[in-house]
Amino acid sequence: MSEIVIGYDGSDSSKSALNQAFDFARALGDSLVVVFAYAPGGYGGGEVPEQRRAVEEFGEKVTKEAVDAAKAAKVNCKVEMINEHPHDALITIGDKHDARMIVVGSHGDNPIKGAIIGATPYKLVQLSDRPVLVVRA
Amino acid sequence: MESASIAVSDPQGAAAGDKGLKTGALGWVSNLVIGVASTAPGYSLAATLGFVVAVGGMGFHAPAVMIVAFIPMLLIAAAYYYMNRADPDCGTSFTWVTRAMGPRLGWLTGWTIVVADVVVMAALAYIAGVYTFLLFGLNDAAANLLDVSIVAAIWIIVMTAICYIGIELSARTQYFLLGAEIAALGLFAAVALAKVYFGDPGGFHVQADWFNPFTLHGGSTALIDGVLLGVFIYWGWDSGVCVNEESKDSANGPGRAAVLSTILLVLIYVVVATAAQAYAGTTFLKHHGDDVLSALGGPVLGSPLDKLLIIAVLTSASASTQTTILPTARTTLSMARFGSIPKIFGRIHPRYLTPDVSTLVMGAVSLVWTLLIINVSQNVLSDSITGIGFQIAFYYGLTGFACVVYYRKEIFKSLKNFIMVGVAPFLGGAMLTFIFVKAFLDYKTTSTDVNYSGGFLGVGTPVAIGVGSLLLGVVVLVFANIAYPKFFKRKWETAPPGILEGTVKGEASVMSD
Repeated sequence: MSEIVIGYDGSDSSKSALNQAFDFARALGDSLVVVFAYAPGGYGGGEVPEQRRAVEEFGEKVTKEAVDAAKAAKVNCKVEMINEHPHDALITIGDKHDARMIVVGSHGDNPIKGAIIGATPYKLVQLSDRPVLVVRA
Repeated sequence: MESASIAVSDPQGAAAGDKGLKTGALGWVSNLVIGVASTAPGYSLAATLGFVVAVGGMGFHAPAVMIVAFIPMLLIAAAYYYMNRADPDCGTSFTWVTRAMGPRLGWLTGWTIVVADVVVMAALAYIAGVYTFLLFGLNDAAANLLDVSIVAAIWIIVMTAICYIGIELSARTQYFLLGAEIAALGLFAAVALAKVYFGDPGGFHVQADWFNPFTLHGGSTALIDGVLLGVFIYWGWDSGVCVNEESKDSANGPGRAAVLSTILLVLIYVVVATAAQAYAGTTFLKHHGDDVLSALGGPVLGSPLDKLLIIAVLTSASASTQTTILPTARTTLSMARFGSIPKIFGRIHPRYLTPDVSTLVMGAVSLVWTLLIINVSQNVLSDSITGIGFQIAFYYGLTGFACVVYYRKEIFKSLKNFIMVGVAPFLGGAMLTFIFVKAFLDYKTTSTDVNYSGGFLGVGTPVAIGVGSLLLGVVVLVFANIAYPKFFKRKWETAPPGILEGTVKGEASVMSD
């Protein structure tokens, strides 16, 4: 009995990752930690807290879908919303739960953005000391 | 297996070190950097130094104006510091004024922020266009309105896209860019002053009188008109205050950063203004009002070092463009979530998690305004910078008063409270109000003695843009009142007791419904 951390943002690719995580959780008898990570909207001032709240509301809506899907798939899961860049967030939550592995979709980020600032799966593979499963959409 | 375990331990160590650096980088120093970078000293000087010098009766007193303009800004910084402390999670001017002084003034504050940001985009994009060509030595293109318009439009589109996708520069990249900007400005000032004293005979030796605001030929009129422009160059440091989330000590860090960033800024502005006019004299600066730093870069630094100054202005303008689009989009997002403008502005992009509708609308409106204003006339563009001074004075002033009103039950509890949340923000607000009124009286004439362009609807263009936009805001406010009755029924709030003493922590109150 261990836990599997899954990065989920509601995108199609994160849905594939979630389905894959269900399979692993059932096979291994694990439960899931669904992580919704959002980068700190820091730079540039203005009404930063309101944007964060708006993003959190969006995150709550999105993770609820994941929780409902988990219920339907008969997998135990809990949700973590965390105000960090996704790769940092997944590593942090992975450590917190001493997770068996981290599961992410391959196209969580837009390819252009990925090329400029680096995609989450790539960073995760470099930085995580836990096994990382990258699921192709 | 042994070799495997050794191999594994290394990356672990690196990861831990990386994490430590990250938390260190996001302290109040980071807020300081963001505050200064958002103010964009290189760009602000490039855009306004020539205009400040050109104010009638200014003479060699531009450095004095830089110092005087700093005083109300420092006092308003106190307001930011304490409003932020009351509730590190409550946003900025729009939210504060709404809470402290009611929904109508709050709404007008939001409107003014948005309008000022749209108006400044034209000046930013224009400078970016001109300096982009100058960087490559394309002086003819830099003087061609069509060429500059095209680059300015591309500039706005690219910057909007960056904000839309949500690419944010890391703290370290910003340290580097700001460091390079300050280094370039410092090098310029040092070389210019060295040449005045040891080289070129044409320069003017620095005199104590330059820093004295009481000896202007043009008297208080020239001083106030200069300060209105000076307010513009300090505009933006409030961005540093608002970066709360990453800062460990979020109640104190950002406010301290705001105060220190104004001090750093005043040093940069006074030193560079002094060096520029010592080297070139005021006539030269007046003639190069719209490209003052690039015009000085060549003679002072020589080729290719003069390009450093141009690059500094460009990076500064890029930071400034981003810190114009982002906060504006967040302000309209916030206003939408309060239910005071259409809900669609509160939309969050599902992938990028940015306020996408707000960002795109801001970009589009800025683009239209910019192309319009650049092509109407460069004189109108010059006047629009003066116009922004009115808008800034209005909403910074209101923020100062909002602090006093919000803390009104705390002011008389101690001498420190009385000075810091009473006298200082009130004085800041009162000074900005005075500047607003005095400048209004000076600029309302259509005479081109004080304005660059001939006026609009019978009033001077700066007043038409600066004050006209506020009046337009009042008209829109009347309609908003009808459309969003719930928001406009909000009650005024006061600070809960104990916040200033630190016994009660400011709590986030969700304003949206």
